[in-house]
Amino acid sequence: MSAAVPAVFEAVKVDYAAIAPMLVVVGGALIGVLVEAVAPRSTRYGAQLVLTLATIAAALVALFVWAVPHKAVTLGQSLAIDGPALFLQATLLVFGLLGVLAMSERFGGKSADAFTPMGASSPGSPQEAAATRAGFATSEVFPLALFSLFGMLIFVAANDLITMFVALEVLSLPLYILTGLARRRRLLSQEASLKYFLLGAFSSAFFLFGAALLYGFSGSSDLKLIARAITTNSSQMNGLLLPGAILVLIGLLFKVGAVPFHSWTPDAYQGAPTPITGFMAAATKAAAFGAILRIAYVGLEVSRWDWRVGVGLIAAATMIVGAVLSVTQTDVKRLLAYSSVAHAGFILVGLLSFDGNGIAGVMFYLVAYGLATLAAFAIVAMIRQGGSEATHLSQWAGLGRKHPVVAGIFGLLLLAFAGIPLTSGFTSKFAVFAPAIHSGGTMGVLLVVIGVLASAVTAYVYFRIIVLMYFTQAPEDDVVALTPSVATTIVVTVGVLATLLLGIVPGLLLQLAQDASTFLL
Amino acid sequence: MSNAPGTGEAVLFWILGPLAVLGSLGLIFAKKAVHAALGMALTMIILGIFYIAQDAHFLGVIQVFVYTGAVMMLFLFVLMLVGVDSSDGLLETLKGQRLATAVLVLGLGGLLTAALGSVTYPEPAGVKSINEETGNVSAMAELIFGRYVWVFEVTSALLITAALGAMVLAHRERLGKGRNQRDWSKRRVLRGEYVAGLPAPGVYARHNAVDTPALLPDGTPTPLSVSRVLTARDQVTTPERYVEAEDRIAGQIEEDSSR
Amino acid sequence: MSNPYVPLFILLALGFGFAALSVGTSLVVGPKRYNRAKAEAYECGIQPSPRAEGGGRVPIKYFLTAMLFIIFDIESIFLFPFAVAFDQLGLFALVEMVLFIITVFVAYAYVWKRGGLEWD
Repeated sequence: MSAAVPAVFEAVKVDYAAIAPMLVVVGGALIGVLVEAVAPRSTRYGAQLVLTLATIAAALVALFVWAVPHKAVTLGQSLAIDGPALFLQATLLVFGLLGVLAMSERFGGKSADAFTPMGASSPGSPQEAAATRAGFATSEVFPLALFSLFGMLIFVAANDLITMFVALEVLSLPLYILTGLARRRRLLSQEASLKYFLLGAFSSAFFLFGAALLYGFSGSSDLKLIARAITTNSSQMNGLLLPGAILVLIGLLFKVGAVPFHSWTPDAYQGAPTPITGFMAAATKAAAFGAILRIAYVGLEVSRWDWRVGVGLIAAATMIVGAVLSVTQTDVKRLLAYSSVAHAGFILVGLLSFDGNGIAGVMFYLVAYGLATLAAFAIVAMIRQGGSEATHLSQWAGLGRKHPVVAGIFGLLLLAFAGIPLTSGFTSKFAVFAPAIHSGGTMGVLLVVIGVLASAVTAYVYFRIIVLMYFTQAPEDDVVALTPSVATTIVVTVGVLATLLLGIVPGLLLQLAQDASTFLL
Repeated sequence: MSNAPGTGEAVLFWILGPLAVLGSLGLIFAKKAVHAALGMALTMIILGIFYIAQDAHFLGVIQVFVYTGAVMMLFLFVLMLVGVDSSDGLLETLKGQRLATAVLVLGLGGLLTAALGSVTYPEPAGVKSINEETGNVSAMAELIFGRYVWVFEVTSALLITAALGAMVLAHRERLGKGRNQRDWSKRRVLRGEYVAGLPAPGVYARHNAVDTPALLPDGTPTPLSVSRVLTARDQVTTPERYVEAEDRIAGQIEEDSSR
Repeated sequence: MSNPYVPLFILLALGFGFAALSVGTSLVVGPKRYNRAKAEAYECGIQPSPRAEGGGRVPIKYFLTAMLFIIFDIESIFLFPFAVAFDQLGLFALVEMVLFIITVFVAYAYVWKRGGLEWD
């Protein structure tokens, strides 16, 4: 039962076609670092942008051309490139593409508008001002985003706990750095970065502790072998299984911001540069739910009766706290953060149904929510007062009169978050709630009831903002929506189109998700 | 094969074990950050010794190399960045937080202890069989480059991210070009100031430390010969005693020659 | 010799013994003439400052050096088992190790080219 060491060393078999997208992304990131090293300052921004977009596009092509027809468990069980992994990898690459487009927004300036010209200069120092004048730019954000994306791609395919842990770190570490690089309100940004880092490290410790206990239980870190050990081990070892399973799940639930572990979410979302917030909200959530799906459905599925109620309680608390606290928020970014907490709860309801349709529903929800969120944060980045972002709700009063299109689009996205019919929010909520009622038992039904009530509460919050934008007189006149470049326009357009299309004709993507909902063992 | 420890190992354990516990208690209770870090270093080193004593050579080497060497060094570096004298603020910003934390920690610890204590563990495999077969360092190598080769390669992405992060967050790039030695010397000549350079510190070859100002021909010390920083810190010595010594010697010589 | 550590311990004991002997001998038989400089802590010619500025904070620049040290420290950790088991591992492991080293040196090239190693 101990980890078998072969007598003669054998190299593992590598299925290069299946891991091609990941190799492309990490290759692009490495070239990006080299560009940072050798390219002259003035060319870096353009070179990085082109390189990053080309890399992600190439990875998407590689995914569809090589990886999709080549599903495999490869690299000695480290990676399972199966239906859910490929679906989520494609989703993540699209999120990455849109996220990078949003990050590249300059609003007419010399460098990316959201990021500080020099992360090491003290906020408000003459050095910072001089760096701005000299046209410095932190173009490292692009390779960092690629590294993060690389970690996410592995995270959703990781088939053993060690790979999963390293992927978790690879995806988190660049995000901690990116969070601290906002151009404006830098102290808030740095504080957010530190909080995110400390709590992220804390959650990693939980994950590691749980992984060690599961290894002690099964003698292996492979999810498949853990699942086998659960059925074959004598009950004497069960004292290791349940704490291990719970601690591993806690480590992952931290990343999606489920409720007792959500406290980093509002601060990190508020302090981070707005395009990074959008990327984090969409992509981190998708990656983390991918990993939770795999742990729950492959590794710990057999023992689910032991931990299902606990996670159900977490889901209920997540929906209630996310919805109730979003009522009291006065800052748009914090409000969207609490809304993302509530959404994590809705997704957990679908996840707990233990049903193929549940997996498909979760993946559909992640796509719909991610695209809408990316667009919403892209719009938040456009609303300005005196050059800095106007995130306080009072500043949004009367925005619908001055900028009817921008406010209208934001209103539509809010309707989607609220789950109004004919938007993707409604279909995705239906996609996670239906399997929960169908095969989730009494707990599933209870959770759906709580979910519907929480949706009603959040709908009130969103309608309040719409009323604020359209039916309130603007107290100040200098709040404006900046004219976006092509990049932001693409992000917003894709988000809006997806919200409408997935709301009106959800069948196509839902079918795709259902076809992709079997895990390879 | 019995897994019972020999006498030597038992003695080692009973001496070093309490020391390790002391070190970790120091980490928690020491008020000064430096003391806490040193307590932690003690615990880390003792753990490394334990691993090696149990024939887990690889683990022992890693423990000393990475934790005691690298991680502890980074700890001390961070302490030096925030100031060696800094200590914990004991003010509670959120009311009742400390009590709540204590209750939760004890609860979690209690639950985990109860669960883990109820397990009947099988006979530990130990590292002896592996050591006799291939040696545990080679066995680790076979796992790192075999089953876990992907994880090993992915780790390099973490290392690069660490380097990028350190540069982005801590490296202040020069704005414009700095003056090099040549530029400075050109400037001196053009301005006609100190063409031969500033006077060097030290007095009559009696003392050449940088904190001792040079004496001008009339016997007054010149502040130009010592660093501004030392002056600001009030660390410049007076050349008085060298002057006095010089006078004494000159007096003696005079006395001798007059005799 | 039954235990491979015995020679090591003998060497260690010899080293300690030599140090103790030479320090002890000079303590006993050496001349003792004290002056002010001898009583000072050794700090490169400058008198040690009783209270360092800002509680002895060092510039953030040092952090970069520390980070680079850690990165290459971790790299060398992987080199250790690789070197020990090199004979059994074959070409595949060599290729993987070279890839790993190249990737880490990309980071080094970046830090170097961007002036992270310059001291002004």
